[in-house]
Amino acid sequence: MLKRPSSRRRSAPSEVSINLVPMLDALVTLIGFLLFSMSFLSLVSVETPMPQDSPEQVQQKILEKPLQLTVSLRDKETEIWSPFGRIKPQTLPHSADGMPDTAAIHSALIEIKKQFLGENKVVLVPTGATSYDILVSVMDSLRNIDPTDPPVFKRNEETGNDEPVKTLFPEVIFGNLLGEG
Amino acid sequence: MGSYRSIRFRRSRRKRTELELQLTSMLDVLVIILVFLLKSYSTSTNNFTTLPGMKLPISGSQDIPPDSLHLIITPEGMTFESNRIVEFDLGAGALGASEKDAQYALKSADLAEDGRQIKPLYEALVKAKDRAELLRAKSKARDADGKPLPFDGILAIQADKRVHYDTIRKIMYTGATAGFKVFRLLALKRET
Repeated sequence: MLKRPSSRRRSAPSEVSINLVPMLDALVTLIGFLLFSMSFLSLVSVETPMPQDSPEQVQQKILEKPLQLTVSLRDKETEIWSPFGRIKPQTLPHSADGMPDTAAIHSALIEIKKQFLGENKVVLVPTGATSYDILVSVMDSLRNIDPTDPPVFKRNEETGNDEPVKTLFPEVIFGNLLGEG
Repeated sequence: MGSYRSIRFRRSRRKRTELELQLTSMLDVLVIILVFLLKSYSTSTNNFTTLPGMKLPISGSQDIPPDSLHLIITPEGMTFESNRIVEFDLGAGALGASEKDAQYALKSADLAEDGRQIKPLYEALVKAKDRAELLRAKSKARDADGKPLPFDGILAIQADKRVHYDTIRKIMYTGATAGFKVFRLLALKRET
């Protein structure tokens, strides 16, 4: 007796299985490669050039009276000033833990950047006892503009558009490499 | 007898259920690991390493340092290109003393130019500079005028976060007298 067409359709379909083994092999190889070539130590650098002013350049500076923004770290306070009097000196007391108030320094420098948009250099004058940790955090506050900071715009002369400034004073130079402090 | 056995076994083989390893869940786990690794993957072009027990400062800088000459400053001394060149006068910061006692004091015999220059470091830097210039002279790479590429004069400084600026200043002064113009202060990247 012949089967009814409906019952023929109901017969169990053959199972299709994908061979996952080659895919598994590829994934294991990839993971091995990534783990092997990954750098777990994530180092960054803060660059500082050696000050190289010739006597002629110093004379030129005296004539031109540039900003030469200077941040002096003292035992109990931080002073932000210009040797040529281009800005009003500011004295910022250290925070309660005796460390320079990097947030206040950063805010003060943003205001100065708004006045001197073309300026990229800042002279840092730490004391001899300033630790490397504080040095790096102060340099960070001098160099970088954080996403949470109020935006600073600079006119692009070519396009005529106002564009956001991405760095504060990226060229940090140490001002007392030869002297005591 | 043998044929009887084989027929019996063939029957039993037919009846045995196939054992299949369930690989899907394992594949899921591997894909998640792969995505995580790809997300946190970062390649670097430098060979900078750190030493055990060394505490680096944290920086928000985004600059990945390319390979360059490398000086490491630990509470015990200075290591330049994997060679210990300066031993600090440990004093109270000797073995067993607390971290705060680390002095980073240089021995007076190691200092020159009114205490500004570190003699062993100066010698090591000058030697490294000479070697780099010799390699550049032998290299086929030339600048626009056909001269060997100039020495880049970059020194990467990797210091323990407790090192004082006074020591860093001496290192930078020594580097400058040896012909180095740019100093890269290394730090750990701040996680965002």
